[in-house]
Amino acid sequence: MNAPSFLFYFFEIIAAGAAGALLFVRNVFYGALLVIAVLLALAGLYILAFAEFVAVTQILVYAGGILVVIIFGIMLTTRLGGKPLVIEHTRSISATLVGLAFFGMLMYLLSRETFVAHPAKAATPTTLDTTQTLGALLMSDYVLPFETAGILLLMALIGAAVIASERKSKNV
Amino acid sequence: MNVPVHHFLYLGAFLFSVGLVVVISKRNTILVLLGLELMLNASNLNLVAFNRLHPGNLQGQMFAIFVIVVAVCEAAVGLAIVLRIYREYQTSVPDDVNELNL
Amino acid sequence: MDAIHTYSFLFHFCLVAALAFPLLSFVLSFYISEKYSWITSVLASFLLLLGTLASAVVLYQAWNHPPFAYRLEWFSLAGYSFSAGVYINNISALMLFIVTGVSFLVHLYSVGYMAGDAGIQRYFAMLGFFTFAMQGIVVSGNLLMTFVFWELVGFSSYMLIGHWHEIPAAAEASKRAFIINRVGDAGFLVGLMIVWAHGHSFDIAALQHMPVDPTWMTLASLGIFCGIVGKSAQFPLFTWLPDAMVGPTPVSALIHAATMVAAGVFLLARVHFLFTVPALHIVAVVGCITALLGAVSALAQHDIKKILAYSTLSQLGLMVVALGAGSPQAALLHLFTHAFFKACLFLAAGAVIHSLHQAQHQSHVHFDVQDIRNLGGLEKKLPFTFLIFVISGSALAGLPLTSGFLSKDAILTALVQWHGEGFSWKLLILAAVALVSFLTVVYTFRMIWKIFKGSETATAQLHISEPPAVMRAPMAVLAGVSLWIWFSWNPFNFYGWMYTNIGEAKPFHSGMVSIASAIWVILALGVAYVTRQVTVGSPLLLNAFYFDRLLKQFVEKPILQLAALTHHADKKWIDGFLHATAYAQLIVAHLTGWFDRAIVDGLVDGVAGAAKGLGSFTRSFQGGKIQLYIFWATFAIIIFIIWTLL
Repeated sequence: MNAPSFLFYFFEIIAAGAAGALLFVRNVFYGALLVIAVLLALAGLYILAFAEFVAVTQILVYAGGILVVIIFGIMLTTRLGGKPLVIEHTRSISATLVGLAFFGMLMYLLSRETFVAHPAKAATPTTLDTTQTLGALLMSDYVLPFETAGILLLMALIGAAVIASERKSKNV
Repeated sequence: MNVPVHHFLYLGAFLFSVGLVVVISKRNTILVLLGLELMLNASNLNLVAFNRLHPGNLQGQMFAIFVIVVAVCEAAVGLAIVLRIYREYQTSVPDDVNELNL
Repeated sequence: MDAIHTYSFLFHFCLVAALAFPLLSFVLSFYISEKYSWITSVLASFLLLLGTLASAVVLYQAWNHPPFAYRLEWFSLAGYSFSAGVYINNISALMLFIVTGVSFLVHLYSVGYMAGDAGIQRYFAMLGFFTFAMQGIVVSGNLLMTFVFWELVGFSSYMLIGHWHEIPAAAEASKRAFIINRVGDAGFLVGLMIVWAHGHSFDIAALQHMPVDPTWMTLASLGIFCGIVGKSAQFPLFTWLPDAMVGPTPVSALIHAATMVAAGVFLLARVHFLFTVPALHIVAVVGCITALLGAVSALAQHDIKKILAYSTLSQLGLMVVALGAGSPQAALLHLFTHAFFKACLFLAAGAVIHSLHQAQHQSHVHFDVQDIRNLGGLEKKLPFTFLIFVISGSALAGLPLTSGFLSKDAILTALVQWHGEGFSWKLLILAAVALVSFLTVVYTFRMIWKIFKGSETATAQLHISEPPAVMRAPMAVLAGVSLWIWFSWNPFNFYGWMYTNIGEAKPFHSGMVSIASAIWVILALGVAYVTRQVTVGSPLLLNAFYFDRLLKQFVEKPILQLAALTHHADKKWIDGFLHATAYAQLIVAHLTGWFDRAIVDGLVDGVAGAAKGLGSFTRSFQGGKIQLYIFWATFAIIIFIIWTLL
């Protein structure tokens, strides 16, 4: 077993363990921390899958952005000043059953399939690495989705600001 | 590294299932959002894993990046809604917000 | 031949009217306002006058005509029909007239006597009701109907004795009278059952042709005689009559002298044909004992009304003796004469009591006005009452020229005839009756002497005045009727129009008896005058031989002990059994209750619960719970994937 394989399974175990722990966690804040652990482990896996840009984006945007925002949300909605908020579970049995069924089904389907790797079609050797190629693609082939994503982000920014503002809703 | 793609996919399936269970069973809106993030990441993992089978083709990674962008938007708006609900109803339990149910 | 069609419409109308007027009086008495209660007395008297006129018409129409019989099916039971009927012959027509007439006179008298009484409406109502019930007994042609009226009479007697129920003695006496009568009536009922079992009819006319089984007939007649013993206060059920004297005096006159107690004698005369020879012997002996007992006890009494009550007892005993001797005519003749003179005596005694009460009220002197030891010398102050008292007293004593002499003569003659030749125990009864008539003279004389002659003691200072005319008139009428003339033209021969028409006449009359009787009475009068100062102070006689206490000792106590014993047995065994069955039932009930709840209700509840579960299950899809929606969506996706991909 070489080092990349070892790292791969290491990250997989961390991701799976953190996700599994998330099922039993009772504190929202710990839950957020576990999710950060999962995201970081996934970033490691992305690197191992030759997706450096995605991995970096994952770390920057997810672990550094979204999760910080979520932790702010936790602080704002659960009164951390006192005792930690205890999260209860509802429908735990049915949820577990559904989750197990879904997981089992997916496992079955996946194990039934064989995914054949396409041998190196890219015979054209390039000097560009993946990140450079992605940048070039975003500015060329995917410029429309890119711009649309920008508009989406802008809308989400404005919308979030409007929704979360202190202004009292007239209808409620 | 000759790890079979199945191992990526198994982890993705597991993460997705865990996210699903969290979304269904947690009595806290923020944890539900975290469950959603988990599910999105599971799909991202799948995209990246499949992209590995096609060297020289970056469509999968591109898709994953867009998913991340959309997840950002979703998280931002979702959190804003959570804050708003908390301010209006003084609760973060999704079941308690059932105003449409008469 | 057909008796019914010989009677005119007037007869029917008057017969109904005679009974309806007293009943109307009873009903109307409740509808008159308390404020004008004096109207009640006047109205009741007026209605009774009408009733008397109607019964006079009935008497006139029925006299010496074939008996009037009317029968109506009353109800049928187990294939036998019970009829109700009216049967009127000479006896009942005459009795009807006398009952209504005396009742009218007593009503009239009561207008004065009861004036100002608080319960005057109740009094007149019950008086009217009593009259109606008594008339019912008289006209009834059916033993069952007779029994019904018999009980009604007992009830109204109970109400009237206890008219002044605030006085404990009155309440006690009314209860006593009622209960003692019940004892007799139980026997009466048994007698009726035996009669029914043998004749399958209660109709008096039909029973005359009944097949006779001597033993059963003796028992049946003795059973009926039990009822008569109770109602006519014969030995041994006589003790209620002296106690009943606590009632208003007019009531004593009407019920406890003239009519109700005579109802027994009347019934006995009516069903005389049922009585067998041994039964008649018992009747005679019982009557003789009663007569003697009453006469002796009357000697020692101090209370006017008690004297009269014991004298009533003794006279009723004489009638029963005559019946026992097989001479209903003599008994009935004495019954009719006695009704007049004894009612008259009671009314006169009431007049004395009333006058003295009035006088006491003015002078605030209080003593027992009914005690003859406190009275004396009232002859000057109450000359009218004295006259009445003398006339009716003579009739009671059986002095010649009075009605009492005639009827007593009839009884004595009947006894002489019954006794026949030679010596037998019947001679003893004859001797006893002679002694009774002797004693009657003595106690009557003593009573009148004590009240009206002698020296004034407690009454000396009182201003005593005669009672009002409304009270004097009935007394005068009754005293007038106490004379011989109404019963027979010849004062020494009882074979008058009445005697010969109230039964098959027996051609027997002995002038010797009349003369002996007259001499006997004069002799008794002499003895009474000589011994007038002697007081009979025997407590034995005063309390009627302590018969009450004897009864208590030998009847009441054992019965109470028996009752206690049966009560104990009842408590222990029967109640125990009942409790056991009750517990068993309880257990069964619990079991079925459990079954009901668990199985039956469970089934129903199960269905309802299933419906409810289904409802809430389907409702939960619309619960507004986002996570649940997600759950079901996932569930559907799983199913979809399994369906399509697997």
